[in-house]
Amino acid sequence: MDHFAQLVLSGLFVGSFYALVALGYSMVYGIIKLLNFAHGDIYMLGAFAGFTVLSVGAGALGGGFFALITIMIVAMIATGTFGMVLERTAYRPLRSAPRLSVLITAVGASFALEYGIAVAFGPTPEVYQIGIHGGTLDLAGARMTYAQLAMMAIAVVLMIALDTLVRKTRSGRAMRAISQDPKACLLMGINVDRVISRTFFLGSALAGAAGVMAGAYYGKIDFLMGFIIGLKAFTAAVIGGIGNLRGAVLGAVVLGLLESFGVAYLGSEWRDVFAFGFLILFLTVRPTGLLGERVTERV
Amino acid sequence: MTLIRRGTMAAAAMALGLTITACGGSLTQDNSGGDSSGTIKLGMLTPLTGSSAAIGPYMKDGAQLAVDEINAKGGVDGRKLSLTVEDEACDPKTAAAGAAKLVSAGIDISVGGYCSSATLPTLSIFGKAHIPMLIPAANSADLVSQKQQNVFLLNGTGIQQAEAASKFIKAAGSKGVALVDDNTSYSTDITKRTEEGLKQSGVEVVNHQSVTAGESDYSGAINAVLDSKADFIYWTGYYQEGGLLIKQLKAAGYKGEIMVADGSVDAKLIQIAGQKNAQGVFATMTQTPQTIPGGEAWVAKYKEKFGSEPGPYSTQAYDAVRVAAEAVRKAGSTDGQAVTSALEQIDGLEIFSGPLKFTAQHTLSAGGFDILVVRDDNFVLNK
Repeated sequence: MDHFAQLVLSGLFVGSFYALVALGYSMVYGIIKLLNFAHGDIYMLGAFAGFTVLSVGAGALGGGFFALITIMIVAMIATGTFGMVLERTAYRPLRSAPRLSVLITAVGASFALEYGIAVAFGPTPEVYQIGIHGGTLDLAGARMTYAQLAMMAIAVVLMIALDTLVRKTRSGRAMRAISQDPKACLLMGINVDRVISRTFFLGSALAGAAGVMAGAYYGKIDFLMGFIIGLKAFTAAVIGGIGNLRGAVLGAVVLGLLESFGVAYLGSEWRDVFAFGFLILFLTVRPTGLLGERVTERV
Repeated sequence: MTLIRRGTMAAAAMALGLTITACGGSLTQDNSGGDSSGTIKLGMLTPLTGSSAAIGPYMKDGAQLAVDEINAKGGVDGRKLSLTVEDEACDPKTAAAGAAKLVSAGIDISVGGYCSSATLPTLSIFGKAHIPMLIPAANSADLVSQKQQNVFLLNGTGIQQAEAASKFIKAAGSKGVALVDDNTSYSTDITKRTEEGLKQSGVEVVNHQSVTAGESDYSGAINAVLDSKADFIYWTGYYQEGGLLIKQLKAAGYKGEIMVADGSVDAKLIQIAGQKNAQGVFATMTQTPQTIPGGEAWVAKYKEKFGSEPGPYSTQAYDAVRVAAEAVRKAGSTDGQAVTSALEQIDGLEIFSGPLKFTAQHTLSAGGFDILVVRDDNFVLNK
């Protein structure tokens, strides 16, 4: 157990990426009961949006922390807007269609995004010419680079901002209301379409931020990078109780830690078996997730 | 293993469907009988989509270069060559579908195959149609262990690569080796054989990890490797993950040697890992125009035609077409049987890996692997 602290830190670090993506899954599901399978690819889109800004404005921005924050904001606006457009063009026309049609549309949007980017940027991976350098910290015998700490700090700030927005503001209250009962909200004079758009903006912007973070930290981005993290974030959202935002973060941290410890004791080929096996096991015991509410059928 | 098993099943399913289509096709046009006039149709399966989509154009352009050169010289016995390319996607199902498409398009010889796991199910499809296969890149020993008469490997096999690796690791005086693969047929084949080779030469293998391709965080595997106190790490997967692995190993404070296999030999590996981190990383690699004396002229020709440097397996694809043309010339027709025996008899045709003669297993008898090392932005021959 001499690496306990290291494993916890690795788990938390990976978990913070999962969390940012899982939040978008959970928000969209919470409000229109749609599993937005294109969400992982919006994360990928964020990475490429950041990459584009970086290659265009490389000279002006420099390569430090300031540049990272700038491209992150640009990428968040870009992916947020894209999320809104996606909702408006692909999902809204199908809102009264059977749930399955929308699901298939989401899968289609995912492929369109992946291969659209592959055509635009080429199938070879691109490399971010940015990176937070600097030394490593020693935390209770575990190694942590400053870059990792900075990434986790950014993730935490974004999560707290979202939580405040949803709990404290008018539009947050509208989101929560719509997730309870969209029809009643319409009768109460809430512009449901606009709130749904806004939800897509927020969820996609967070995924975009995670994409830029991944680009800056790992250095490599490619058009398929959203696939696996999309699955993992979805798993995290389900473990936490899909539709519940704090649950999504909790689920992501649990999943990150599970993977970290699972790899350490079983070997890395078992990482996904472990993660998804746990999901199945967990769902049989607690189908609503960690923080999910019990849904009672209203008769 | 699961990949292989799934692949064989897909192959069986495809073969079943194929016997029907092949019968239907043979009424109008008999591609297995071959003939001695008309265009010589070559078919190539290579990844154009999917995780290895970057490789496809390199192989396609390499093959096209040879086709154009041979056609410019009047073709083979007055017959022109043509090249049809289908997507393999590094996925057994896509590859099997692509192979079926090539067979119904009436190709005479297959000059493709990149991912071993995707190439496996195509063996029986081409085999049933009596189409000789010259596989330029895929090199898992599983491909020849099926003992199919129409299958020839133009790349050194995993066995040869593992031999080169174990020899180099022993000479480097390593006290403990960690092997890391990406769970694909190609990659596990090399680690398995390297592990055996190292054991025989008395070098201890202290850790063996398999990671999932497509992920970006390998801290789990890296923690385990560092725990095992390995001083030499051999990565046998592709460059996308290899670059990340090197970068994360260095960030985690690893000081020992790193070596990568041929799937990782690409300038992008150095970019992804960071130039500083990649310095001194070794690689086992089949000989390429960049490492062969006199290869510069070929590189220049390629650049002039396609406007970019050749990539991994451009040369092997180029050679596959040349070998195919030579075999048809020798056989005097495109009949599958005749071409196969002509291939078995080829002796001394100069290709990039040296004079060509196939072994009884239909693998290369000469050539083999060089050890490269990263200097600045490139892989250069380790002297």
